[in-house]
Amino acid sequence: MSDDLPEEFDLIVVGTGFTESCIAAAASRIGKTVLHIDANEYYGDAWSSFNLEAFNCLLEQPNFTLRNGSYIWHGPESKEENEEMEIVSWTRETLLEKSRRFSLDLSPRVAYSDGELVKLLIKSNICRYAEFRAVDHVCILSNDELVSVPCSRSDVFNTKMLTMVEKRMLMKFLTACNDYKEEDELSFRGRTFLEYLQAQRVTDKIGTCVMQAIAMCDANTSFEVGMQRTNRFLGSLGRYGNTPFLFPMYGSGELPQCFCRLCAVFGGVYCLKRSLDGITQAEQSNELLVSSAGKTLRAKQVVCAPAQLPASLARHYGELKPHISRGLFIAASPLGNEELNKGGGGVILLRLLAEEGAREACLLQLAHYSGTCPEGLYIFHLTTPAISEDPSADLAAFTAQLFQANAPQILYSAYFTLTAQTIPKTSTAMPICCTAAPTYELDYDAAIANARDIFDKLYGEAEEFLPRAPDPEEIVVEGEDPSALREHSLPEDLRAQLQQMDIAE
Amino acid sequence: MAKTYDYLFKLLLIGDSGVGKTCILFRFSEDAFNTTFISTIGIDFKIRTIELDNKKIKLQIWDTAGQERFRTITTAYYRGAMGIMLVYDITQEKSFENIKNWIRNIEENAAADVEKMLLGNKCELNDKRQVSKERGEQLAVEYGIKFMETSAKASINVEEAFLTLASDIKAKTEKRMEANNPPKGGHQLKLTEIRTKDSWLSRCSLL
Repeated sequence: MSDDLPEEFDLIVVGTGFTESCIAAAASRIGKTVLHIDANEYYGDAWSSFNLEAFNCLLEQPNFTLRNGSYIWHGPESKEENEEMEIVSWTRETLLEKSRRFSLDLSPRVAYSDGELVKLLIKSNICRYAEFRAVDHVCILSNDELVSVPCSRSDVFNTKMLTMVEKRMLMKFLTACNDYKEEDELSFRGRTFLEYLQAQRVTDKIGTCVMQAIAMCDANTSFEVGMQRTNRFLGSLGRYGNTPFLFPMYGSGELPQCFCRLCAVFGGVYCLKRSLDGITQAEQSNELLVSSAGKTLRAKQVVCAPAQLPASLARHYGELKPHISRGLFIAASPLGNEELNKGGGGVILLRLLAEEGAREACLLQLAHYSGTCPEGLYIFHLTTPAISEDPSADLAAFTAQLFQANAPQILYSAYFTLTAQTIPKTSTAMPICCTAAPTYELDYDAAIANARDIFDKLYGEAEEFLPRAPDPEEIVVEGEDPSALREHSLPEDLRAQLQQMDIAE
Repeated sequence: MAKTYDYLFKLLLIGDSGVGKTCILFRFSEDAFNTTFISTIGIDFKIRTIELDNKKIKLQIWDTAGQERFRTITTAYYRGAMGIMLVYDITQEKSFENIKNWIRNIEENAAADVEKMLLGNKCELNDKRQVSKERGEQLAVEYGIKFMETSAKASINVEEAFLTLASDIKAKTEKRMEANNPPKGGHQLKLTEIRTKDSWLSRCSLL
């Protein structure tokens, strides 16, 4: 491949994870020249998705962001070995034959229908690059059984898990939360959400529903935070599907790519398999000299994923520590009863607690309608904050709850650790901005806040973060003459950019 | 909003940089040949509605946004694509040789039943020709796909190529619908889709 890369950019972004891609898109969108590179040969870094074969390769070869990888096949190797069984459906061979039909996430997430991600996608028009499936059920574990938490009026009517009295109680409680204003309930300021819930005299079952699934709290969560989370859940209901959550079709690895696409549409240059080898300050100017693949590039600013820093710089950012422990399972049968998996099943979200609520994990079950696996198979993603270098030990308390009572037919299991650096605040070794590694969160709020912070730091708060990109219908060009571009149909900020170009010329 | 079309097809343009993909897109969608401001105003895909056998077909045609330059097309680009125009430049041997790599890329990332077509663009530059029409035809036969030589600049065969591809996809879609097995997809987020808040909470006092 010929390398006719330009040598000067306003911004060089290193790493194509979610946060870096957000920043690259935002800078490109306001007219900055952007080079976006990644040391890997794929988009997404620690936020990527892989087919089954590529995923296995990744587990075998630890890199900066992923380590302690392992996988085990549980099913038979091939059909011949197993002739005595009556129905042989999935074997190692048949799974690998369909390798490309899998999209296995490193950092699986859902999005609140009215959350930061959805708002950002709609506002920026990046939503046209993504498709979502509404999460089908939000569940709790009740007596080792997955039970769907009622999320709509008809759910509440139909659910068998609650008595009539409990149904009224739940509605009353949620309505009170929905109507809650800050000046209300002053008596609970400084106390926990659990105390508030107990004061409402709800039953244990409702308490579990609210604490585990709706407010997603633990015993120490403050009243204010619990209320905020409850309202986030309620505010996202009734928008797209039966639950407040959306899951990106084809996996969470699609999302960084959507932001990259927008960056490219506005002129951003993309290069994969290209690392940042070194960085120095230019003499007599504020520019940075970035060496990459034997070339020196000039940039006004550099944003880098900490795991892709050159070794000489990485040491300023602390040691790589285990950050998130992940388990990934492929099964031939789903968790939960038939009712939960109607028509082949969809996407199920379950928050799990262990050690009396001191630790938590998130389970996402995906059926083939999510575009992440072949029909007839199910993926279980388990995610928990890491407490050791052994992801399977970290998750043992949760897999025990899930798989012991109603063991699904697991064909494949894998474990790995995602790492993060402990960035000391004092580290100002280089005038570059480092993004944060993916944290343990359900949605993308922290990642978006991180991207927005860095964007503001680079370009000031006066610049809008990802203003709306025009719809194709708004770009009307008539005839062969470039000036026939009908500018009035464009969004205001782009018209301004075009006028600046005219003046410059 | 009432649907103003019977079918919506997502089509992609793929091929090396500089073979004229964006020009083909503009020739077909706007009958124009002009690509000056593309990166400033953010051109992404173009839409044109055509009519075939009394059916209105909305074609949504996506450009690579320059991500083909260092072979960094996102896997997301291929999602949901029903047809792909593979484009080379008849005056650039290399762009023709690379078609094989692009096909491999498509096989890895696009749906297995995606309809493909091969276009040899810039056929108005006959005096600079490096790839004969026969070689184009031969390659298309090898992959079992249709072939045309086009010129976005002189407006030759661009319209015909898209109509051919659209009509092949339409035939395939209708056959599948007869088999009564429509593929099930996801939702796209749209501003208009959002309903008002409290839709169920406020009414639940009925319980």
